[in-house]
This record gives sequence, structure tokens and C-alpha cells, in this order.
Amino acid sequence: MAAVAGAAYVLYLDLLVIHQFEGRRWTLPAQVFAAPLELYAGLPLSESEVGHELERLHYRKVAQLDRPGTYRVNGARIDVALRPARFADESRDAQLLSISAGSQGIEALKDAAGHEVPVIRLEPLLIGSIFPSHGEDRIVLTPREVPPLLPAALKAVEDRRFDSHRGVDPQAILRALWVDARARQIEQGGSTLTQQLVRSYFLSTRQTLGRKMREAIMAIALDARFTKDDLMNAYINEIFLGQDGNRAIHGFGLASQFYFGKPLSELDLSEIALLVAVVRGPSYYDPRRHADRVLARRNLVLKELADQHVVGAPEAAAAARRPLGVTPRPAGAYYPAYLDFVRRTLRRDYRDQDLTEAGLSIYTSLDPRAQDAAERALDSELARLDRMKKRGSEAQALQGAVVVTAPQSGDVIAIVGGRDVGYDGFDRALDARRAMGSMVKPFVYLAALESGRYSAATIVQDEPVDLKLAGGQHWRPENFAHDTNGPVPVARALAESLNLATVGVGLDIGLPKVAETLQRFGLDRTPQQVPAMLLGAVDVTPLEAAQLYNGLANGGFRNPLRAVRAVIGADGKALKAFPLQVTQVATPEAVYQLDRLLTLVMNRGTGRPARPLLPADLVVAGKTGTSSDFRDSWFAGFSGSNLTVVWVGYDDDAPTGLTGSAGALPVWARIMASLGGSSWNAPMPDGLVEMEIEYTTGLRVLPGCSDDRVTVAVPAATQVAPKAGCGFPDSGNPVTTFIDRTQRWLHALVH
Amino acid sequence: MAARPRTLTGVAGVSALLAAVALAACASRGPVPPGLPGEVAVPGSEAGGSPSSPSAPPPGAAPSRQFHLGPAANALVTQARTQAGGGEYAAAGATLERALRIEPDNPLLWVELGRVQMGEGNAGQADAMGRKALALATGDPTAQASAWRLIADSLHARGRTAEALEAEQRAAGLAPQ
Repeated sequence: MAAVAGAAYVLYLDLLVIHQFEGRRWTLPAQVFAAPLELYAGLPLSESEVGHELERLHYRKVAQLDRPGTYRVNGARIDVALRPARFADESRDAQLLSISAGSQGIEALKDAAGHEVPVIRLEPLLIGSIFPSHGEDRIVLTPREVPPLLPAALKAVEDRRFDSHRGVDPQAILRALWVDARARQIEQGGSTLTQQLVRSYFLSTRQTLGRKMREAIMAIALDARFTKDDLMNAYINEIFLGQDGNRAIHGFGLASQFYFGKPLSELDLSEIALLVAVVRGPSYYDPRRHADRVLARRNLVLKELADQHVVGAPEAAAAARRPLGVTPRPAGAYYPAYLDFVRRTLRRDYRDQDLTEAGLSIYTSLDPRAQDAAERALDSELARLDRMKKRGSEAQALQGAVVVTAPQSGDVIAIVGGRDVGYDGFDRALDARRAMGSMVKPFVYLAALESGRYSAATIVQDEPVDLKLAGGQHWRPENFAHDTNGPVPVARALAESLNLATVGVGLDIGLPKVAETLQRFGLDRTPQQVPAMLLGAVDVTPLEAAQLYNGLANGGFRNPLRAVRAVIGADGKALKAFPLQVTQVATPEAVYQLDRLLTLVMNRGTGRPARPLLPADLVVAGKTGTSSDFRDSWFAGFSGSNLTVVWVGYDDDAPTGLTGSAGALPVWARIMASLGGSSWNAPMPDGLVEMEIEYTTGLRVLPGCSDDRVTVAVPAATQVAPKAGCGFPDSGNPVTTFIDRTQRWLHALVH
Repeated sequence: MAARPRTLTGVAGVSALLAAVALAACASRGPVPPGLPGEVAVPGSEAGGSPSSPSAPPPGAAPSRQFHLGPAANALVTQARTQAGGGEYAAAGATLERALRIEPDNPLLWVELGRVQMGEGNAGQADAMGRKALALATGDPTAQASAWRLIADSLHARGRTAEALEAEQRAAGLAPQ
């Protein structure tokens, strides 16, 4: 009877472990890829930058190309043995490519036969995976992707008789007891790799005798059913090798990326020995926290490998002299805020289980170069601002968030969710909803331009506002400088972000119209229609701000901002695509007039402090935002290639003492300078003309008759009063003057 | 639509005027100002009207520039046409998006993507892309005409005949066929 019960129990354990083994083999977190870099003649990428991009993909620089994943530099020519690659839309075999680069960038691309290649992509960078809530992340490798040294080393150090035992190794257990007693050599666990595998499957660290028995029976069962190669491969993909926040690093494929930032196949002896050293206790032997301890154990591993003739003694000795070589933080290709956006996008269409188990490949728009630039700029500028610490709260560090897009396609190419980019926590880019401040003003003026009653040269009144609100209270907003400027042209009111003038324009246009403009550009809710809305009492996240401004950067066309381009199934079939979509939400004429005004912000107004940080000839347009009491410092602006939105503030909403110009603007400028890119150069729509006006008065001028000229775009029929003495041919035209005077008088009356 | 004879070499199935413009311009590519890979200034009216064109460009609409495709975008457009020809509209769209990432301001690519949208039966998106192209094509009557023709086709497809005819007239006024 007991024998039957025992047999049934063994059978039960057998089923359990086989099920687990089979199940685990095919359970793959979705892998997420960055946008591939397109190479073509004319791309402004120098030879060293091409090399950098190859290094990012872990290509090895060699003297002779021997296999895919290597490159060599030959003067201004770079020869690359491209790896086979899979993209969202096609696969490509390994191939040779010659890149000729000059001072202006890439000059020519040629294939192995010497034929011109017009355009070719590097493989997309793996930027992470979507792992289940229990936190297990892994990159699964096939036996072919594993360097033979790794299984050999694992056997030598962890399980010498792996090839011959039947799942458990009584000899090793005895030896472990003996060695432990002498405590002189490397500690021996006595557990076979198979037993360790079983333990990992059932996440049990409690070591009772019952569990040991259970584990041993399961190990024997596994060993009876599967080949040693299968078991070794499962072990290599399964074993726990590190912890990163709530993310558990499983398997050597991911551990190699996690500790060294490169694929396992490219690790050298000392690096493999380090990973083998970590197996014994990823927390106790954490190379980033206990370097000395890990170094000692790594060298013990190397000695063991030499003793057992897995490697030669001189080789081992040389490897033992090498530093640990671990990257300071988990490999750069880990972008939690971006992945957060990807996950949220996909959650609309996929169950969690699909994402964490089905082996999907997700192709995104992330541009690693832009992402790195954004992270670096935010880090360094916030550190600088914290050091200044003259103002604001002393206790806490400033925080920030960045979103970068390619406006024409709506691709989100970078997201930074906070200063500590490796930390998988509060994602400010998506979740910090803060008052827009003056960043709302362009939408007030856009609504004004659309009405046809306003142009860049229209004179508006910057004068005290006193509004009786519904509750009987009075609303008396002030300018930033607590001053009033009287009559000013729209161009100056926006450039200098004059609150009083803007309130006048906004009330004239009407709150519902301004709210509707925001919604047209992508705000997904109706803002509360109170006068304070005109000065930015509208809460948005940095991502939402990017959506709003993307339409301004894209000539009045709205595209839904997208991180995901396509989802491909484990079988290589396309499951879902997110194609480019555009909707016209404003006329090109109105948006062009506004965008020209936003370039004046950069040259004459609150954006001017960015100028010295930017290339002199780069035309950009943008707007600052500062919410009440300096709680939020914003900047949103664009070139011809990129839109960047930056928010800076404290997590607890405490005042920072920073305006948009002082906080967010330098971050923005550094990012835009690193991105390079082209100037904002939208073509002026037919029906508009350029006109020079005096910045302070709004009067029409000619060169030579005013020191303070700015160029604005206005509808061709716009009548603007000329400055006296400018010698305009029509300056004495009584009709023009009359119309203009009347307009000014009417406007003065309205306000 | 008439294709100019000098432009047909090397590309199968070309029927759009757009292709003619693209390839013709590529064959005689002038110096390209930095940052504007797809735009070449055309002096005066020399290159604006085709020598074989029966009528001169309308007065006041002298072209100030003429868009063409750079070699990378051109190769991708060729690939996209093959894909679209085989009914693989999604793939063609993805290929054209690659081209648009290289030359986002080139109206010819937006028209091309709009044509793929038409093929997919997505006339609304085709219209929007036509209008996007139109906004970028200022100063290039040929590109403007292509955009108006796309818009006209998308209006026809949605039964908005009167507007469609108006769009066609605009196209004809810009670049007579």
C-alpha cells in the first residue's frame, strides 16, 4: 500500500516537473526593439559615429572580418559583416556592407559585389522585454548561441559529473560535506545542475529534508526524460542571476546584457567566469555592490577551470588579472519610461499573458541616440540647477521628464520619466499631470489668428485685468514682471509671454473657442472653462503636451503619437501594425503664422536664453511655461526634425523658484543641440506675405527706419500702419490709414 | 495621365506623373542644400514647364522649386510600388514610412502614401495625406497638382463629386496634362 502511494507520489512529481519543463521552454516575454538605424548616402553620420552605432549593437572591431557581428575600419571606409536581422516588415540575411564616410556624413554604401546600395538598415537594438508581474525577465538562447566555454565552466564548477550522473550525484554530496568541513576550497553545493534547475522552477529556497527528497526525485525524473543537452540549455536560460528593482534577471543571455551590455556569444573568459561565480548567490555576489568579494570568487572559478584543464593555466591567470568589466548600471539599453508607454499602448489590444509569454516581437520608434541625449541633458542640467539651490526647497532633488517626437510621423523617439532613468518607478512623462502655464498661450493666439480678426501685427492692450467671477470673487492676474505695457503687437505679446495682453485676446476670442482648439490638437478632455485657463490652468502630462505641440510642429496636422510600429508573432507573422495617420486640425495658414511667432519667442522673447546653446543657424520655435508660484517649469519647442517637451519640478508640487526659461529651457536646448536635425523651414502658404514690423509698436517698417525690426507672416490683405518717415510709397494713402486707425480704435474699445 | 518619355527607364509599372518628376529630377540632380535632401531650387521657368508641354505654366505660378526624391527614398518608393502592385498595401505603407523618415518634408512621398491608402480603400486618410502634401508643396506646381489629383480621387471615392471636380480643375490649372 505504501509502495503504491509512493509510486503515485513519484508519478505526480514526474508529471509536475515535466509539465514545468515543457511549459517553461516556450514561455517567452515579448521582446521590444528600438527603431533600426537607416543608412543611406547623405546621412550626416561621421565615420566615428558609424562606429559608435555599430558598438551600440555590440559589433566587434577586428582586423579581418571573420563572422557576422564584426567590422573593420579602413581609412574613411568601414566594412561591416552585418548579422542576419529581422525587422517589422521583413527579414534579411547576413551580408557584407562597405560604408564610405566623409566630413559631411555617409557618402556611399556598397555591397560585397561593389554595387551601390541606396538604403539599408542596421538591425534594431533590443531595448527590453515585457516580463510577467512576478518579475522574471529573460532572453532565451538556443544552444547554438551559447559559447561552449559556458557549459564546460558550469560543469567544472557546479557539477563535475553532470554528463554521467542520473540527476543526482551522491559522490558530490559526500564531497561537498568533506570540502565544507575543510572549508579551504571553493564551496561545493552538492546539488547537480539538474537539482538547481528544479529548485529554480519551483522557486523554493527552503531547504527541508522533505523538499530535498522531492527535488531529488524530480531531478531524476527530468534526467530520465530529457537529454543532457536539453537540460543544460534549460539551465542556462532558467537560472536566477540578478535582481534589478522588481525585475528578476534569469538566464545567462539576459545576465550577459545586464552585467556587460553585450550578447553572451561575445563574452571573454574572465566575463564568463564572473557569471559562473554569480550563480552561487546573485545577491551575495552582486558585482555592482560587492566587487571585491566577486573578484575573489571569479578568480577562484578561473583557478578551478585551469585545474580541471577547461582552459590553460596562463589563459586563466591572464583573465584573473582583468577587472570585472561590469557596466556601472544595468546596460544602457534599458528604458523603463519608454517601455511603460509601449506596455500601455499594447494593453489596449493584448492580454498581459500574451505579452509576457507568447514570444512576441514589438518594434518601436525609440531612437537610442535621441534617448541617450535626452537622458544626459536632463541629468546634467538638473544636477546643475540643484547645485545652484539658491531658491526653492532645499530638501529634495529636482525632477524632470522629457518627450521627443518626430513631428511629421508622430513617432515618439525618446521618453525620460525622471532623473534616475534606470529606476522603474514613477513615470513623470506619462503620469505627472501639471499645469501648463504659459505653454497654453500659442493655442489662445492660434484661435485668434484663425478668427481672421488678428494677425501678428495686431495691436492688443497689455493693461490691468479685473474680472468678476461667478462666485463674486475678482480675478486680477498680473504679468510676470508685475508691469503693464499698454498697446503691443501680438508678436511681442506672445514672445514675451505677456499675461494681461493674452487674457484680453482670449476673452475676445472666447473661452469655448480656446478650449475647442486644445481639444482639436489632441487634448482628450474638456478643460475647465475659467479665465485662468488662458494662463495655463490646464493640467497635462508631458506626453499630452507633446501631443498638443506636435500638431503645431506638423503644420496643423495631428497624428496620434505612437511608440509601437508593429507587433510580430513568434511565428514571424505580423499581428498588428500602427500605421502613420494624419488629420488636418487647423489651416496651414494659421499654423504658419503662429509658428513664425514662436520663432520670435526664441529670438526675442522668453526662449532667447537657449540661443547660445544651439547651433547659430538652427531655426527653432517654441514656448516656455511657468505655472503659478513656480511649481512647474516647462518648455515645448521644435526644429524641422524634432519636437521636444521638457518638464522640471518637484514631485510634491513644491515651488521650484524656476521659470520655464531657467529650468526646462536649458535642458531642452541641450537636447536639441545634440539631436542636430534641420531647421524649422515650413514653406509659407500662398496667401501669406512676410512683413517687417517694429517689435515694440507693431508699426510697419523698412530696413533703415527702425532698429527694432522683426519679420512676421501675415495674410496678404493685412493692412498695417506704416511708421512715419519710413518712406513707404503708400504711407500717405488715406484709405489704408483710415482702415488701420479704425481697426486700432475698435480693438482698443473691445479691451 | 501622361508620363514624360525620358523618365521611364528602369522602373516597371510606372504610370503616375509623380514618378516622372521624381526620376527626371534624380537624373539631373543639382547641388542639394544641407537639410533639404528633397528640394532643389529651379532657376526661373526653365525647368518648370516640360519642353513637350503644350501650354506654358499659368502666369503668376512660376515654380520656385521642384521636389524630387533622393536615391534612398526613390529606392524605397520603387519597392513600395512593387508591394502595392501585389496588393500588399500594409507592407507598401511601411516601406513608404521608411522613406518619409528620411525625407519627411517631401510632398511626393505623402502623395505616394496617400495612393497606397486609396488602394487600401482608406479614402479619408488619402485625403488627409493629399492635404499634407499640398501644404509642403508650396512653390512646386507639379507636386501641388499631384496632391490635388489625389484629393480629387479621394473625394470621388466618397461620392463628393462636385468637390472632386473642383480639385481636378485646380490640378489642371497648376500642371496641365
